[in-house]
Amino acid sequence: MQCAEWLRIHAYFDGEGDVIGAGNIERHLERCAECSALLEDLNNVRTALRLDLTFASIPSALRARIMRSLDEESGVKSTRLSWVGRNTWRPRPFWQCALSGGGGAAIAASIAFFLLAPRLSNPMLDELVSAHVRSLMPDHLIDVVSTDQHTVKPWFAGHADVSPEVADFAPQGYRLIGGRADYFDHQRAAVVVYQHGSHLINVFSWAATKDRLPQGTTRNGYHLAFWKVGNLAYCAVSDTAWDELLGLQRLLQNLGVHEIGSH
Amino acid sequence: MDDRRHRFEVLVLPHLDAAYRFARWLSHSPTDADEVVQQAILHAFRGFESLRGSDVKAWLLAIVRACHLTALKQHQRRVAVPLPQEQDVQDGEVVVAVTPDPESNTTDRDEERILDRLISALPQAHREIMVLREVEEMNYREIATVINVPIGTVMSRLARARAALKFHWMQEAKREIHAVR
Repeated sequence: MQCAEWLRIHAYFDGEGDVIGAGNIERHLERCAECSALLEDLNNVRTALRLDLTFASIPSALRARIMRSLDEESGVKSTRLSWVGRNTWRPRPFWQCALSGGGGAAIAASIAFFLLAPRLSNPMLDELVSAHVRSLMPDHLIDVVSTDQHTVKPWFAGHADVSPEVADFAPQGYRLIGGRADYFDHQRAAVVVYQHGSHLINVFSWAATKDRLPQGTTRNGYHLAFWKVGNLAYCAVSDTAWDELLGLQRLLQNLGVHEIGSH
Repeated sequence: MDDRRHRFEVLVLPHLDAAYRFARWLSHSPTDADEVVQQAILHAFRGFESLRGSDVKAWLLAIVRACHLTALKQHQRRVAVPLPQEQDVQDGEVVVAVTPDPESNTTDRDEERILDRLISALPQAHREIMVLREVEEMNYREIATVINVPIGTVMSRLARARAALKFHWMQEAKREIHAVR
């Protein structure tokens, strides 16, 4: 037999206390072993779901198609790249405005990349470059906007499977601008976003496997630098110069070594 | 850009990812989902004036759902024979079988992801309510708006959907134990 309160336990679990009277339910839970077991069970299933379910973002090509159809609908003369040009005056978050005037051009370039680029041979490089380019699309770069490492790092706890090194290196020219979770290599990778001059650098991090990381390489104009600290694999991706990318890598590596040493 | 378009982009487009995810969970294939999202955004834009209050996400997902149901009806007319009730089971398999392009790797359906697969295999009424609650983290009132039922129905249907998921999950676990033996 099922306890008659089972439905109300679900509602209580979903934070719908005002619908059902949370106080009564809590008193009931103290007495009813069946319902407290149900509540625990609901918690376990939710935890498993959060780990298991995919949280997709809309593919950028589809987003572009939708923007074009909105253009046509609102009577904007539509040429193939017209919506790209309008990016220069579409409302957007401060970080995009903060970038140099080449923003529109960068986005145009990234679309050209999607249209023209052949599939890269190593799937990991493929995924990383694709994720980097995707992040340059409007509204895709940052989930948590902050220049404060103490805001960005805890944010990852609920949104990614790993907790990477985060620090603001503004004095060294690498300004922390935020973080993002990205699905990569079958896990929710943490991505820390830095700005260096007019360039953006995405630093991906994920739980390292036994496989060796690829060598640093350049794909379609984007440099990819790989390194490991402890059991975390990192990859910095950017169109900035190699030396500058490696500069950030050194800063982050030193940070990791320092932290491991101090604990 | 005119003012209406501007307001639409500020209010509605932040929920584009949610609209896409919901369409993916509802549809038979990624291609269908793409079509549904495009239709839904156009409908939303045309009917933007009908948006009252602040519950933009629920309003948009209700439109996505309506577009999905319309597409489903058209699809059923095309095949002439009504799809059997088990269509939802096939649904999951179709999604699994599709090879994603590099951009959509976030929607990868890994065989390992049992719960992902089990939810895909639930009947639509259960699947959509699980997704709205557990993926989109909407409250009962918002869910009621999306699927157009009273809040009490949301409560009972969600509980039944969870029970169904739990049941299939246990079955799966038993099967695995047998396989090991």
